[in-house]
Amino acid sequence: MQASLKRANKHIVSHIVLVTWSLIVLFPLWTLVINSFKTRLTIYDNPFWIPKTWNFSNYQTVIRDGDFLTYFKNSFIVVSASLLLVTFFASLAAYALARYKNRFAQAYYFFFIAGMMVPIKIASIKLLELIRALGLLNTIWALPPIYVAMGLPVGIFILTAFIKDLPEELYEAALIDGSSSWNIYRQIVLPLVRPALASTAIYNLIPFWNDLWFPLIFINEEKEKTLLLGVTRLFGQYQTDWSRVLAVLTLSAIPVLLLYLAMSSQFIKGVTSGSVKG
Amino acid sequence: MRNHRTHHLVWLLYLAPALIMYSLFMAYPLLDSLRLSFFTGNNPATRVYVGFGNFEKLFTDPQISQRYWSAFFNTWVFFLIHLVVQNGLGILFAVMLTFDTMKARHVYQTIIFIPTTFAVLITGYLWKLMLNPVWSGDFFVSIGLPFLRHPWLGDTKTALIAVSLVSCWQWLGIPTMMFVAALRNISVELLEAALLEGAGNCKTFFLIKLPLIKPVVGIIAVLTFVNNFNAFDIVFAMTNVNGAPEYATDLIGTLFYRYGIAGQHPIGIPDAGLGSAIAVITLLLLLCVVIPTLKKTQKGGA
Amino acid sequence: MKRLNVVLVSLALLCLMLPITAQPARETSTKAVTLTMGSWRTDDVEQMNRLLSEYKKIAPDVTIRFQPTNPPDYNATLRLQLDSNTGPDLMYARSYGAGLELFNAGYFADCTDIPGLMDNFSASNLAPWQTADGRMFAVPFAAVSHGVYYNKDIFRKEGLGIPNTWEDFLALCTTLKSRGYTPLANGLADEWDILETFFFGLLPNYVGTADQRVRYESGELKLNDRNFVAAYQAMADVAQFCPRGFESVTYNDSQVLFNSQRAVMFVDGSWTAGVYKDASFEWGIFAIPAPKGKHTAICFHPDMAITMNTKTKHPEEAKAFLAWLCTEQGATTASKNLPSGYFPMIKFPIKLENLHANEFLALNAGKETDARFVWPKLMHLYAPMNQAVIRVMKGQISAQAAADSVQALR
Repeated sequence: MQASLKRANKHIVSHIVLVTWSLIVLFPLWTLVINSFKTRLTIYDNPFWIPKTWNFSNYQTVIRDGDFLTYFKNSFIVVSASLLLVTFFASLAAYALARYKNRFAQAYYFFFIAGMMVPIKIASIKLLELIRALGLLNTIWALPPIYVAMGLPVGIFILTAFIKDLPEELYEAALIDGSSSWNIYRQIVLPLVRPALASTAIYNLIPFWNDLWFPLIFINEEKEKTLLLGVTRLFGQYQTDWSRVLAVLTLSAIPVLLLYLAMSSQFIKGVTSGSVKG
Repeated sequence: MRNHRTHHLVWLLYLAPALIMYSLFMAYPLLDSLRLSFFTGNNPATRVYVGFGNFEKLFTDPQISQRYWSAFFNTWVFFLIHLVVQNGLGILFAVMLTFDTMKARHVYQTIIFIPTTFAVLITGYLWKLMLNPVWSGDFFVSIGLPFLRHPWLGDTKTALIAVSLVSCWQWLGIPTMMFVAALRNISVELLEAALLEGAGNCKTFFLIKLPLIKPVVGIIAVLTFVNNFNAFDIVFAMTNVNGAPEYATDLIGTLFYRYGIAGQHPIGIPDAGLGSAIAVITLLLLLCVVIPTLKKTQKGGA
Repeated sequence: MKRLNVVLVSLALLCLMLPITAQPARETSTKAVTLTMGSWRTDDVEQMNRLLSEYKKIAPDVTIRFQPTNPPDYNATLRLQLDSNTGPDLMYARSYGAGLELFNAGYFADCTDIPGLMDNFSASNLAPWQTADGRMFAVPFAAVSHGVYYNKDIFRKEGLGIPNTWEDFLALCTTLKSRGYTPLANGLADEWDILETFFFGLLPNYVGTADQRVRYESGELKLNDRNFVAAYQAMADVAQFCPRGFESVTYNDSQVLFNSQRAVMFVDGSWTAGVYKDASFEWGIFAIPAPKGKHTAICFHPDMAITMNTKTKHPEEAKAFLAWLCTEQGATTASKNLPSGYFPMIKFPIKLENLHANEFLALNAGKETDARFVWPKLMHLYAPMNQAVIRVMKGQISAQAAADSVQALR
């Protein structure tokens, strides 16, 4: 009796806390969107309330001035390709490192993990030379190699830990059958590491999509620009017009937001269903 | 069973794709850049070998070392705020979200993660506007909260905290999700047994949940630490690359950018060698902190 | 598992198909040449495009694309691009040390023998882009001025006139404040603006112009002498007239405050003149007045020059453009299309059409001018001076202490 009353009670507190936080999250977004419909000077009048007159011209101007569709397509291609390769390569490497223990495994593992701690930005000059040598400069394909290299450390980190956690019994049956390592990987490990793959993908999705630095230094050609890069030029152009800047911000936030909202149920399902063990 | 040699070769094959990409596009350029820390000057034409000169400069030159230690201190403050607010709240929310009979948890989860999907530039600009008393000050006064009207980003006492909190707001989704995943892994029977014993939520948390998710707590602390010591974008967006006001928001990340890549804003001349020296020191620091932390929190070591 | 497979496969297919569609732009004809021009002036895209299309009328085979980078990113990205040979063909060069360094590193081409360059500009206008041994590394393009923007309507309404001395200026501000106005729009958040427009704007009033400046540079005069302390004190005195919470007010905020008439005056550079062209009120400019007994001087600063990349693939076309800028006709066309608030530096008298631009230029009449104080030789004091001004305005240190802190680092 006491226990169930306690449980019901705690949930009210939890709800209050979570609702409060949700408001803290949503309020700035509300501010962002409504102010993008105001004009340069009227955003100072009633900052947190809806505009007296709705001004749609900001969006029109912004869409006209910036080639949003192209930017978005480029970002999409770059990020999808990078995530695909990162998760695939990382899972292969993690499988090898977690399962087959030999002298070199520790060394390789630390080699990879070290990459998490260094800002790859400092290698920019050398990277620029490399990309140029490969003939990829000024194209969107300059980015995936960098992003894959960037995302591998975390991916390997997460996946190795996850695979290590898988109980030995899973493999015993396969080993007795004499399955090849590839089959074990494909049929046993891969299905089970779905949540870790999802974690790796989601963890890397954000930095890949929102990266400004490498597109900035690799890409000058308007048609090859990624979303954030294309958009920052507009920041400079509109810097005296906050309402327009906010319209730009809103437009550039929408793609990932929709992507996330579409994927979130996938991710949550993966987290909840894939990891329940006996 | 299998020939040891073939086995080893196959094993390498698994590692190969990752190894190649990583070595070519990360390890090699980074090592080359670390080599730069022993030189000064910005390009092959003006480069001069100085041995440990850059490191000496970093720690003994009065102006540079003052900036370095100030950035170092600020970054630690930045990190500690993240540890408490971002990771602390992350655990709290994760626990709440994983209560058995919690309703609407999908809604909450989705909302919590939204800021993480935004580019830092976006949140930086947005919060910069909202924290600007010229814009929002009158509003706060009108709703009876005049103490909220304050130049948060202009006051050296509050600027760093403000920037840190906004960064926590942005990234909180990630630890929360990871803790949720970890908590879900705790076997249901264990929790039910605890409940039958009469353990309340607090006891269950501290005696069962927390110890079991220790590895994840460790991983997240490490990731937070690493990210904070490389943080740059949020300061870039909210104040400026100099760490205004008066270097109060200067982090190691912005210091590195200023000395190594762009020069003091707006008109300055960088020194790639000095920047690389900063990067080397940071790397050593991270290694010193990360490795012990991982050893202590992971089961059975790496 | 099946769903994951489907998702993965479709993504993979998508990625495989798309390399075919993503290709870098290629030059279609061999005769037409496209040059890129880099700059930090993202505000000027419209005007520069107009200017460059005027050039195209003269050289139809050459298209110049203006590709500015956001000011905070400009230094870093330009450097990286130059380091790796992917820099623009033409680019803006900053004056004095910052530009010189890029020349010494071999990125900027030697422009000394561009026809018209040495002849059509005065020595003092060439100096900011000249090496110690007289070689030029850029073609001077535009100079900027600094002054006080003021709201004529409010002045009229309150029966106020333009102040002639600094003391009058302070009294004017006090009057405005007592009547409920915010006298000044300036803020500290972006840091560089308070230094470059306000402090360096009024500094010549206190320490003199070029001939005095060299005495400070040589060490003969100290940077914490009476004149400097007075200048810092002047900054401390105006802090109370800046908006409430001015520590957080950014450069853009200041512009908006002035533009929306929430502040009466704004000490700023001439380059902002274009922002207010559609203002709903009448505005004008006056020079920052010197204190009684001293002479008002104007900070007229050579700001931008254009140079070419040593590694450009089209040196002939790039050089031709630069040479065009040195001719009277080219310079006049350029000036007509310069963003308002930028002044041509060429010898020929050029009449600007913009009223306010002329107003700015008129301020120079009868007064001495100088570049911003630290630019020629004391660039390493930029940051310390900046911090000193900020701290003295926040009331954290006295004017004497501020001046001392800079002198100590000399």
